[in-house]
Amino acid sequence: MALRIQRVPSDNLAGGIAARLIAIVLALAVAAAVFAFTGADLGKLGGHVVKSTFSNFGMQDVGLILTPLILTGLAVMIALKVGAWNIGAEGQFCAGAFAASGVALFVPGPTVVILPLMFVAGALGGMIWILIPTLARAYADVSELITTLLLNFVGILLVYYVATGPWLDSSGFSFASTKRLPHDIPALWGDVHWGLPIAVIITIAVAAVLNFTRWGYEVRIAGSNPNAARYAAIPFRRHLIVVMLLSGAIAGLAGMLEAVGTAHRLQGGISNNFGYIGIMVAVLARGSAIGVIAGALLMTLILKSGLALQTQGVSVATVLAITGLILFFTAIGDELSHYRIVRTKNEPQEA
Amino acid sequence: MDLIAGLIQTSILAGGVLALAALGEVLAERVGVVNLGVEGLMSLGAITGIATVVATPSPLLGFALALAVGFMAGMAFATATVIVRANQVLCGLALTLMGTGVAAMIGKAYSGIPAPVTFAPIAIPYLSDIPVLGRALFTQNILVYLIYLILPFTLHHIMFRTRHGLDMRAVGENPAAADAAGIPVQRIRFWYVSLGAAFAAGAGAYLTLAFVPSWSEGVVAGRGWIAVALVIFAGYRPWTAVLAALLFGLITSLGFVGQARNWPIAAPILSMLPYLGTIALMIVPVLAWQKVRRLMAAPAAIGEPYFRDVR
Repeated sequence: MALRIQRVPSDNLAGGIAARLIAIVLALAVAAAVFAFTGADLGKLGGHVVKSTFSNFGMQDVGLILTPLILTGLAVMIALKVGAWNIGAEGQFCAGAFAASGVALFVPGPTVVILPLMFVAGALGGMIWILIPTLARAYADVSELITTLLLNFVGILLVYYVATGPWLDSSGFSFASTKRLPHDIPALWGDVHWGLPIAVIITIAVAAVLNFTRWGYEVRIAGSNPNAARYAAIPFRRHLIVVMLLSGAIAGLAGMLEAVGTAHRLQGGISNNFGYIGIMVAVLARGSAIGVIAGALLMTLILKSGLALQTQGVSVATVLAITGLILFFTAIGDELSHYRIVRTKNEPQEA
Repeated sequence: MDLIAGLIQTSILAGGVLALAALGEVLAERVGVVNLGVEGLMSLGAITGIATVVATPSPLLGFALALAVGFMAGMAFATATVIVRANQVLCGLALTLMGTGVAAMIGKAYSGIPAPVTFAPIAIPYLSDIPVLGRALFTQNILVYLIYLILPFTLHHIMFRTRHGLDMRAVGENPAAADAAGIPVQRIRFWYVSLGAAFAAGAGAYLTLAFVPSWSEGVVAGRGWIAVALVIFAGYRPWTAVLAALLFGLITSLGFVGQARNWPIAAPILSMLPYLGTIALMIVPVLAWQKVRRLMAAPAAIGEPYFRDVR
């Protein structure tokens, strides 16, 4: 009997989850080591994080950060289902926030009417933002990864332009923000608004459609093996277009909820890396919609810790670096979880 | 005429950043590895460059240290993608997040300090006296000559005129066949990916030592991603990559001219030009000339890790 290491084509759930947990622990350990090396008091920093997160206000913050992260994570995840990299959730987020704020500022009417209209505008904004990358991928095979990404910069500049220019608050107190939007999303608990349950419901709905409908089945086949999909007469291109547009709409909705529900105004830098961290959420989720909620919660806790440490002189960029480290270790762990130690009766024969 | 000469001079200077990063990406992608960490590597190089010249007044040392930092980060990336064979897209994005994050952390102390020394323009005797174009073309810093002439010439020669270059391209097109022919697939991938990463970080140092020249958070501003896009547009060839970079330099400098001359277009809108231009140039040629697709096709094994026992 002999043991040997063998690579199998599919990874398993336990290995994937273990890889993620180890990646997070390793990344945090590296970060802690760096902090310790620069002479920070780890116990004090940790205590501060715990105290500021597990307080009434801290939990409200968690709810507010969780909302956009669930949706941007879902947006990236669903595009991956059909084999597309939507790295542009950041830009679609901006476009959604822009469109919804535009409706709020310039369409008069009662909140009951305007709020649904803002929803539609947010989703449409995100959809329009991903339209050109989608068509370019579907009809000319242009890498959607790069086109969606480049539009992030344009989206951020667009929001910055209107918030500092044409839509600037005329009261003179702000420099890069519109006036307070006249409509609110109803509050749920403290500052946390109905955006959070809406994000969760959308996620569950997407999970149900992907797992229990014929359409969802076809999308999953198209994403995992386009050739097999074509052979089975599954319209790959149509699914690609629909799913990518849906992905943009979800990211746009995240922007709408952030601008209307959380920030109450359109301001420069509204996207706040939520789109990029959504990629992280989608990767942690391992292709499962319910995993998106878990992944978003994890990333929220990391972001919230970063915010708490800002008062202790730790810069926001640290969070970005730690996020990258987690992603790096997760990618390595994912590959390693393909390997098995198998027992063989006889020594394998050398070819 | 002054306007045109100035435009050309700025285009060359601005395009140099993209050209060097793109040349690095050509190396990595030709051997079959997509490195999406260029943006992060450029950030690391940019801060290394500025931190070095603040400490000691030698831009050349700053550039060299940036190359070294990029090479080391590239080896980490290559270890993950070539040796462990982890997903290249994820590792690249991770490298971008880490690079921009770490650079911003270090950069806090250097924010807004102008580089005390920079790569000064060198006028080439006689040639720089040619009216209009002479100044624009031949009064540039030393890196410009390196990036636009020496590097593409060398890389083109190695890639298309030597046996070793044939091996490189074989590794990117069909690693299994290359392996069977006795070409060390993993070794070639590892070292060229690392070298490409060094170029990317060098481009960052060029940015803070020859072009901007100071550090601020977000100084790279998507140039790494534009460089990646440009490699596709340039069909994975060194000379076309450099020419494409020059074209983007022109788009960038048009924005500068617009701002300097008070064109009635807001600065944020002008700043969108390079990104929109990149997207247009990625889409339009493919739509206009179907033949381009085959001629400029990506290496066949791009993005795919190579497992000897899985064929």
